[in-house]
Amino acid sequence: MSHFFFKWLYPVMTLTEGGTEEVAGPPELPNIVTLLSHWFHDNVIVAFLHHWENIFFAFVVGAGLSILAFLSSRRASLIPGGLQNFMEMAVEGLDNFFAGILGKDARHFTPFLGTLFLYIWCMNLLGLIPGFMSPTGGVRGGYNITVSLAISVFLYVQYTGIRRLGLGGYLHHFAGSPTTVIQWVLVPLNLPIHILGEFAKPLSLSLRLFGNITGEDVLIAAFAGLGITALAFLNLPIGLPLHVPFIFLAILTGTIQALVFTLLSTIYFSMMLPHEEHH
Amino acid sequence: MGVPTALAFALPLAVAIAAVGSAFGLGRAVSAAMEAMGRQPEAAGKIQVGMIIGCALIEALTIYALATVFLFMDRVH
Repeated sequence: MSHFFFKWLYPVMTLTEGGTEEVAGPPELPNIVTLLSHWFHDNVIVAFLHHWENIFFAFVVGAGLSILAFLSSRRASLIPGGLQNFMEMAVEGLDNFFAGILGKDARHFTPFLGTLFLYIWCMNLLGLIPGFMSPTGGVRGGYNITVSLAISVFLYVQYTGIRRLGLGGYLHHFAGSPTTVIQWVLVPLNLPIHILGEFAKPLSLSLRLFGNITGEDVLIAAFAGLGITALAFLNLPIGLPLHVPFIFLAILTGTIQALVFTLLSTIYFSMMLPHEEHH
Repeated sequence: MGVPTALAFALPLAVAIAAVGSAFGLGRAVSAAMEAMGRQPEAAGKIQVGMIIGCALIEALTIYALATVFLFMDRVH
């Protein structure tokens, strides 16, 4: 009986090795998908879920946020109460925040940027709930999520540039906006640098978010493993909760990284839009 | 010395050196923010937000070193 209990509980305690089956990666805490793939590793559905683990959890976050939005906006009343009030406060706070940077264009971009912030924030915090993992982290698939977010921001910024500035103005902006003769002469120097900088933006955005969240998850898992090893001599399925302080740190880091991602995207938009000269 | 041994030596060293650099940068950023907050306490909120964002950007460079470690981790056996 106890053998069966430990055999079932074994992956929960010791499934802290990330990476693929061939090479051991950094430690990670078990989540629903890895547990299922440990118990039913011949099932096709479970193998599919394990392969697309990050996208599955990203869907979970997306579904959760969509349900929240639906619940707060049906029977919308002019004097909101409860959930609708809270969501309106959040949306208005985000709108004011973006208005501080983008000015009057903020209202047009708030849906995209606000969704970006809430989505990334919830994804970062999802890893702290036992049984889930942050889709934005994890050495196997986490970079896919962050790079897709960064690419979507990049494409939207370029599209906004072409739409607002026109194709000529867009290329003029990439050449460094030359007005004087000297600036026109420097265009062959400015153009590659600006294009390179433009491509460096999604790279840095994605890498920053991925590295921070993966690092935090690895830290928590390492300390959880340390706590389990500390009480290993008791041969009981308990360990010291040494990772709890790092959970608070992960909450802080997750929030800050979501904020930084969104803020940098807002700044990229404001740099691409025509800015009034304050001379 | 094969590649795995060299990597096992270099990867932690890379993160350590990046951490030193980021410690210097963050120390300067936070100290400037503290000084500015001391000079004008009513602007403390804006200064704090700017400091947090600046710290995240500085930290990102250390995280690039960590991400490189993740990239090369499998080669260390």
